[in-house]
Amino acid sequence: MLNIKNLKASIDGKEILNGLNLDIGAGQVHAIMGPNGAGKSTLSYVLAGREEYEVTGGDITLDGQSIMDMSPEERAAAGLFLAFQYPVEIPGVQMTTFMKTAVNSVRKARGLKELDAIDFLKLMKGKCKELGISDDMMKRAVNVGFSGGEKKRNEVLQMAMLDPKFCVLDETDSGLDIDALKIVADGVNAMRGGDKSFLVITHYQRLLDYIKPDVVHVMSKGRIIKTGGPELALELEAKGYADIVGAAA
Amino acid sequence: MSFAFENIPSVKSERWKYSNLQRALKDLSLTPARLGWDGNVSLLSPHAPGAMEYGDTQLWDLNASQTKDIKFITSNDIIDVSAKDGQSLSPRLIIDVKAGENITIIENHNGDGVYWKNAVVQINIEENAIFNHYRTIEESEKGVNTLFTHVKIAKGASYNAFTMVLGDGFVRNQIHAEIMGEGAHCGLAGVNLLASTQHADTTITIEHQAPHGTSNQTYKSVLTDKAHGVFQGKVHVHKVAQKTDGYQLSNALILSPQAEMDTKPELEIYADDVKCSHGATTGKLDDDPLFYMRARGIPEPVARALLIEAFCAQALECIADDVFAQTMREEIAKWLTSRA
Repeated sequence: MLNIKNLKASIDGKEILNGLNLDIGAGQVHAIMGPNGAGKSTLSYVLAGREEYEVTGGDITLDGQSIMDMSPEERAAAGLFLAFQYPVEIPGVQMTTFMKTAVNSVRKARGLKELDAIDFLKLMKGKCKELGISDDMMKRAVNVGFSGGEKKRNEVLQMAMLDPKFCVLDETDSGLDIDALKIVADGVNAMRGGDKSFLVITHYQRLLDYIKPDVVHVMSKGRIIKTGGPELALELEAKGYADIVGAAA
Repeated sequence: MSFAFENIPSVKSERWKYSNLQRALKDLSLTPARLGWDGNVSLLSPHAPGAMEYGDTQLWDLNASQTKDIKFITSNDIIDVSAKDGQSLSPRLIIDVKAGENITIIENHNGDGVYWKNAVVQINIEENAIFNHYRTIEESEKGVNTLFTHVKIAKGASYNAFTMVLGDGFVRNQIHAEIMGEGAHCGLAGVNLLASTQHADTTITIEHQAPHGTSNQTYKSVLTDKAHGVFQGKVHVHKVAQKTDGYQLSNALILSPQAEMDTKPELEIYADDVKCSHGATTGKLDDDPLFYMRARGIPEPVARALLIEAFCAQALECIADDVFAQTMREEIAKWLTSRA
């Protein structure tokens, strides 16, 4: 599914990713944990194709095809989805307009028929209902005036609407109370089970109580330094990062 | 030409600092012409407003001495102010809104080839009347439009103006509004979509001369290529105008490194119990929303267009007429498509 080989990336001349390797199979959920400054958010931005980051080496493939030369919108069409740590507010752009444009752009790029207004509304209402999101949110401007929980739920809604193959959740748990966390986790879990793969990036083990990973990686200084099963997350929670990061160094 | 160059405002004058009308008119070969309106000169206000304070009255005076096109309007109407190649026009619109009435007038300003329209619009709104005044200005590449609007707003009356500047050429959109009676409202809004070597200047003076008046300015400018935009907005609150509420907003979005926007907000307040503020910004399109939209699969040109439409939305909200608002939204979409 997703394969990262020896990925190196920098921003403003400073190297952040330093030869990162990762292999995520179809249907798997991987978690990346790591201390602040490990390069977790950089990894998510580089995967999504943010232009401010300069990729200086390595390759990323999705289903065997390199995405390195693809624009962010081409990556989205190819099936990559990034749930933002800080979803962006867009005053003046209504959620419905935003979502309909996104869904139809992606459908067009995938060679599918674009949805008309009625079919789009059906899809949206269906997904909102599944995820326990009120229609009212869809009438507002994108993320404007949304609470922290609403913003993250909105990310999960977009994920469900765009039907990606591979999803990156960048610190989706930050700023969420337990109730909001559960709603988000339920949304992700509802999409599991098929071929979709997930990369859950988090600082804390808490989210992994609700989204059970198949594989856990520890990231430090721009690379993966340890890989294990779900028990690794518990070990990190008990001992803190210093032990593992220190031992590997 | 039939006018002397010394009667044309020069950049040495403070209120014309950013707009070089003399240069715009310099090599134009023009002949005085008529639109074919009536010529009832008795309706003219020969004296320009603001003569004492600003001394910026040359174009009004020139219009008064030249005009043979005078139109008197008191009800809903659609007016075309169209110039043909080689014409020098001096039209005068006189709009009277009777007490308690509610009227809407749409003006379409455009033209072909090389021309200069030096128009004056004098408006009187009587007590408790509402006047919705909508304009589209779409001049040709070598067209010059100097448009001087003077409006008097009586007690409890409301003036709501919206101007869309598209097209090309040189435009000076000058509005002088006088709040004459208690509780009068003056709402001015506009969207300027400027491209090529287009020049568009919006110069506003609002005189609060009575208590409890409200005024609102909401202007959005989008500039690309080598376009030049100017916004000068002045709110003048006289001593008698207590409890005035005045707000002025000018936002400019620069899409090209060669485009230029000059903004000069001014508040001059002599009353001590008023609420007045202004906001002025000039900037480029934000990277964060752009990336967010692209990460959702929206192609960059479409994302940019959506963001620019959103940028303009606040000014469009000032339009009370839904049909006209929708037309303006379509004009914006059309402009964006033609430059994508």
